[in-house]
Amino acid sequence: MSVLTLRLAGPLQSWGASARFTRRTTESAPTKSGVIGMLAAASGIERDDDEALAKLGALRFGVRIDQPGTRVRDFQTAHHGVTGTSMPLSERFYLADAVFVAALEGDRALLTTLHASLRAPVFPPFLGRRSCPPAHPVDLGLYDDVSLHQALTDEPWQAAPWYRRQHHRDATVSLVVLRESHEDEHDADFQRDQPLSFAAEHRRHALRTVVSRTVDIPNPAAAPWHPRHDPFEALEESA
Amino acid sequence: MTRFYLDVHALQTVPPSNLNRDDTGAPKSAVYGGVPRARVSSQAWKKATRDYFKAESLLDPSELGVRTKKVVEVLADYIRDADPSQGQADALKLAAEVIVATGLKIEAPKRKTSAKEAAAEDDAAEPVPQSKYLMFLSARQLDGLARLAIEGAADIKAFLKDKDNKARAKQIADTRHSVDIALFGRMVADSADINVDAAVQVAHAISVHRVENESDYFTAVDDHNKDTEPGAGMIGTVDFNSATLYRYAALGVHQLAANLGEGLRDDESRTTPVRRAVEAFVRGFTGSLPTGKINTFGHHTLPDAVIVKLRTTRPISFVAAFEEPVRGNQGGHVSEASARLAEYIPDIERAYGNDDSTLTWVLRVGPNTQKLAAIGTETASINELITSIGQAVAERLEKPA
Repeated sequence: MSVLTLRLAGPLQSWGASARFTRRTTESAPTKSGVIGMLAAASGIERDDDEALAKLGALRFGVRIDQPGTRVRDFQTAHHGVTGTSMPLSERFYLADAVFVAALEGDRALLTTLHASLRAPVFPPFLGRRSCPPAHPVDLGLYDDVSLHQALTDEPWQAAPWYRRQHHRDATVSLVVLRESHEDEHDADFQRDQPLSFAAEHRRHALRTVVSRTVDIPNPAAAPWHPRHDPFEALEESA
Repeated sequence: MTRFYLDVHALQTVPPSNLNRDDTGAPKSAVYGGVPRARVSSQAWKKATRDYFKAESLLDPSELGVRTKKVVEVLADYIRDADPSQGQADALKLAAEVIVATGLKIEAPKRKTSAKEAAAEDDAAEPVPQSKYLMFLSARQLDGLARLAIEGAADIKAFLKDKDNKARAKQIADTRHSVDIALFGRMVADSADINVDAAVQVAHAISVHRVENESDYFTAVDDHNKDTEPGAGMIGTVDFNSATLYRYAALGVHQLAANLGEGLRDDESRTTPVRRAVEAFVRGFTGSLPTGKINTFGHHTLPDAVIVKLRTTRPISFVAAFEEPVRGNQGGHVSEASARLAEYIPDIERAYGNDDSTLTWVLRVGPNTQKLAAIGTETASINELITSIGQAVAERLEKPA
């Protein structure tokens, strides 16, 4: 199996899985529908092309939380274009300052096409909401003969330098990986973000399994290890 | 068509101000690089850009859309303009039928509840049905729908029962969008198949440096207060901040061309509407300013530096240049922000860009932005910048794919 990894980082991101009406919430990690949507948009798949979407939806999906970020609430007003009366107020939630590594596992040919289309996208990529462009190009790497979990373990820590420095005492950091389960894993949760259709008239999502694991990743900003200070060492010598 | 994107980046300093506030009245904020930042939401700046189109008459009214629930009344006016022999009542009936044929749901507005208003309304004619949501239609679309209505005026119901005619109504509402719809998109909740995906992506503007909001305590004197110990007539607080903002927008020119469809006028070349829309967008985005509390703070400023890139590869935001917040130790933030960009842009372009096919223009003001001079072709004025962009866009559009 091949795996395509993506770096999802920017001042703001927003990944809604169950947002409705005027309260648009975000999950704490990118959703499969959001990331597949981004890839579909980059390769120019039209909203109502469910068949082309199904191929992308069949990819196995996982995400690693490299820098969790903080939640920001945005309050939005709108006014009637003619009468000026105010429309329903809405609340939008964003993740500020977060960094994720998303990975997709599947057919090499398909992943190669997706990788290429991220470099010259038909519709520009965004992190869950159009007003959230990524801070860097999102494509990280395309790896052959590797599993989803392995790819998410091998990818170096993508957190920002300031965030790494905060963890300089840790030689490795434990990062949460949320990915689709294998058949033999029975501790899965379910999330409704498996995209079935992005058609404007009727978006449809199915349930998808999610297992939570942690992986240990080396910290490139780790300071050399200082021996622990032990005041009793001196006592032993004099005894 | 060849894909290409126009990236617009701007550094803009605003003095103490409150351009865009949340429900507590405080300026909006975000966290980036681990520190609080000033933020101006994308929707606030898109609204400012659209308002700028109108205020500066950048576009002809025929190139703009009208956003209203009163689509039936508006279309009836178009019908009567095109065929003055139609009576008002007939025109309204025709308009309602045609609007329904486009797939849009309309309904009679609810009666007013107060007895007085109800009595007043009883004397008036039947209320004209309205769409359930704000509908955004271009002048060209309204023209087309009006012509269709007149064509079938003899028996509009039978005329629209014909599948072809019904499809024509839908197609008219779904092509030749106005410039503002083509740029910023259209959402119609009850007829999603005539939605338009925006060609432009505007990021939330954030400050390049750490910003904490401040609060201004004020008192106001009552001029007619004759008390021996006069206190304040009123006291209050206004929250504000000042910031050097990094602003970014990406425009998919190929998507804009698809949204605009055929020329606005038959005598124009195919590329003219796209070129005009691109020029209007760059001028509107750089020149506009959200007007929140503008009479309190008078924060009328313009960008210190504007960088525009026309590229065939992916759009790239340079916001990461400011992930490490600018400290501004030497006073002001523009100079250090410009130095950051001057270092970051060549670096990220080398790693991910495509120098051969990318064009870059710079418009900058003052010695603080000197370091940006070498980033691209310098232009002396906003007019020169926009003319050069317009020319390059037209040339690329005309090049065979």
